[in-house]
Amino acid sequence: MFYVSMFFQYLSQYMKTRLTYRVDLFVEIFSDLLFQAVNLIFILVVFGHTQFLSGWTRDEIIFIYGFFLVPFAFFSSFFNIWDFNERYIVKGEMDRILTRPIHSLFQIILERMELESLFGVITGLAVMFYAGSRLDLSISWYDPFVFIVLVLGGALVYGGIFVILASISFWSDSRTSIMPMMYNIGNYGRYPVNIYNKVIRFILTWILPFAFVGVYPSAYFLGKEEWYGYAFLTPVMGIAFFGISVILWNIGVTKYRGAGS
Amino acid sequence: MSNAIEVKELRKEFKSYSSRSGLKGAFRDLFTRNYKVIPAVEDISFTVRQGEMVGYIGENGAGKSTTIKMLTGILTPTSGLVQANGMNPHKEREKFVQTIGVVFGQRSQLWWDIAVQESFRLLKKVYRVSDEDYNEHMNHVIESLDIGPLLDKPVRKLSLGQRMRCELAAALLHNPPLLFLDEPTIGLDVLVKLKIRNFLKEINEKYNTTILLTTHDLSDIEALCERVVMLDEGKIIYDGKLAELRSNWGEGKQIEFQFSNQVDDQQLDPLVKELDVFWTKGDRHNVWVANVPHEEEVISELIGRVVAAHKITDIKIHEISTEEIIRNIYEEGVIHGKIR
Repeated sequence: MFYVSMFFQYLSQYMKTRLTYRVDLFVEIFSDLLFQAVNLIFILVVFGHTQFLSGWTRDEIIFIYGFFLVPFAFFSSFFNIWDFNERYIVKGEMDRILTRPIHSLFQIILERMELESLFGVITGLAVMFYAGSRLDLSISWYDPFVFIVLVLGGALVYGGIFVILASISFWSDSRTSIMPMMYNIGNYGRYPVNIYNKVIRFILTWILPFAFVGVYPSAYFLGKEEWYGYAFLTPVMGIAFFGISVILWNIGVTKYRGAGS
Repeated sequence: MSNAIEVKELRKEFKSYSSRSGLKGAFRDLFTRNYKVIPAVEDISFTVRQGEMVGYIGENGAGKSTTIKMLTGILTPTSGLVQANGMNPHKEREKFVQTIGVVFGQRSQLWWDIAVQESFRLLKKVYRVSDEDYNEHMNHVIESLDIGPLLDKPVRKLSLGQRMRCELAAALLHNPPLLFLDEPTIGLDVLVKLKIRNFLKEINEKYNTTILLTTHDLSDIEALCERVVMLDEGKIIYDGKLAELRSNWGEGKQIEFQFSNQVDDQQLDPLVKELDVFWTKGDRHNVWVANVPHEEEVISELIGRVVAAHKITDIKIHEISTEEIIRNIYEEGVIHGKIR
């Protein structure tokens, strides 16, 4: 309960800060939209040459992309920790975090949230409805609830992976380019996993389970029954991965070495 | 009386990697890295009573910040025991930090872009301070630190002195019984320093707040702390009263005479024959300094004799400053009377 109220306190603080820099806000929303448009154009270009990809149609893949945007939007709003190493470890901001009576990861999530990215939810839904209407998908009464659960699961998978990566900084504070690389790998989850070879499919399912952010949960809405098992595993994977990441984080905090001075 | 801080055999080691030279060395570093274990804090023990103000001093890299970080639960000790406010700081960190206030002079607690009072409001929620407690306590703090007019300004627009006072207020928002100050007066002007010192004294008297203070500015310590803990290369080399440090190491007084006529030591020496005093030539013309190492009772006798025998135009009595004392200690590494 305390944490919920803290969330809203930080939220209002965040709004105040954002409103003092209005231009920034618009630039950020604009660049987000541009990024998503480029990705969509890429998919359209690929499908200019072919209509099927391992049994998936163009519209199905556009639908997966639309779905992917939604958990990704939540992820980028709340797990904006790609510069954790530099900002908190090298500069020693972690000291300040650790002297406050709230869980350190939660504080960082609150401090670093970027709610502009939530616009991705709207683009994602629009893309899904566009693709969905071309595919004649029907919506049952429980689908919105399933959707919410799968989106949360996907966002947690994404968040978990990045929190694990951030935790590594507690052991080694040297700069690594792992974070940008992960953003790239994350994009592979947007395409049907059966177009990849077995090893990559295994990695995307169990090691870096990005497939649970895009293709597996979308398969449920596309009615691809052979993937249903994976689709319903999404929230389980989300909770498991996020749980592991929090445990790792907590161990990491005890290994924190602090910055000089 | 209960102890606010109890530290036993506390030790913190850091692994320090050293890189080999040259390209070949860089390749070897890829596989096996050389490292040394460097103790930043070596088996130190001390206790601080509730309500004490303790100065924690030492050169850069002596281990002051490392100790403070262990006491505040930021760092996990390699070995040893820390107990503060009856808790183990790093084990029960989230509960423990509720009972302490921390100011790191080089780092800000406040939100950069928003008004100071917004930061306070958020911290009030973070520390779960009730409205009554907040109003009663903070109105007083805001008044004594004179930050009322600053509250609606964003932190980035404040001067260093203004920001520091706000930082201090923020650290005391939940009225903690234990306050850690790491270089709180670094880079501040004399007036702000005075204001902060007076405020700290007041808080200490009013709430019996324990204050542990690290600083390079010894005048802070002289103004505030009865007790100092001195650290060198991770070890405590002195723990005791500041006054005692002065009397043990103070080397008495120096009296500087400016004579109106030419004098030499042949004329001066007979004057102090049976007194425990010796003369050295001053750095200006006709200036002689009488060094009085121990008994300060001889001062009046000395002055009387000199003035009766010679004409003087000026006289000054110097006391060795604490700063000089501490410099001597670090240079020579031992302390008269008390060696740890």
